[in-house]
Amino acid sequence: MTYRENSVTVSLVSYLLILGYYLVNWLSMYQAEGLNSAVIFKLWAIVIVAGIGLNIVGNILTSIVLSIVHAIKTNSDKEVRFVEDERDKLIDLKGVKVSYIVFAIGVFLAMLSFAFDQPPLVMFSLIIFFSLTAEIIGDIAQLYLYRSGVRYG
Amino acid sequence: MDKRRVRNNIRKLRFYHDEMTQEQLAEMVGVTRQTIIAIEAAKYAPSLELAFRIALAFDVPLQDVFSYTADEEPA
Repeated sequence: MTYRENSVTVSLVSYLLILGYYLVNWLSMYQAEGLNSAVIFKLWAIVIVAGIGLNIVGNILTSIVLSIVHAIKTNSDKEVRFVEDERDKLIDLKGVKVSYIVFAIGVFLAMLSFAFDQPPLVMFSLIIFFSLTAEIIGDIAQLYLYRSGVRYG
Repeated sequence: MDKRRVRNNIRKLRFYHDEMTQEQLAEMVGVTRQTIIAIEAAKYAPSLELAFRIALAFDVPLQDVFSYTADEEPA
């Protein structure tokens, strides 16, 4: 596995954890007292900050761990340079494209909640849900492209 | 449109260059070893610039490294 593949895997795991946390909290709140704006805003803030924070910390830790593993494997103290080449950039772009498509569909579905007389809190909750899902599917698409191969176009 | 693919002789050229490793070639052309593996397996068609860099690394013309052939044609 390359540095980029490890990095994408870390991102995937962190988004899965955040999505799990979000769904558990959202559903328990929905079943207990309905959607309370004060509590749900706090939940959204936690999810967004955790999403950014976990990714940054995850990437730093991945770099440190891979550097240590590389040093042990090669038995040298030469600084390891994680190259991101044109193939990585192409796969990254394709992953982002998949994420955007999933997110756009998600926003459309979230808007539909108004058609079923749901309050705005439900729509925004769905948008948060689909933004996390879009990141997860984008990461899965990247991992798939690393395994199956990638072409321009 | 016919089904053509970018094929290559990188494995053969590495052999004729003192069994150059994928890691060495990757370092020479500035990509990861995984990208060289993907190119060799025809799972990734490199950009024109990278293709030229690979040809330069072996000191041969571009058409000696890459060809654009249909599945049944030889590379």
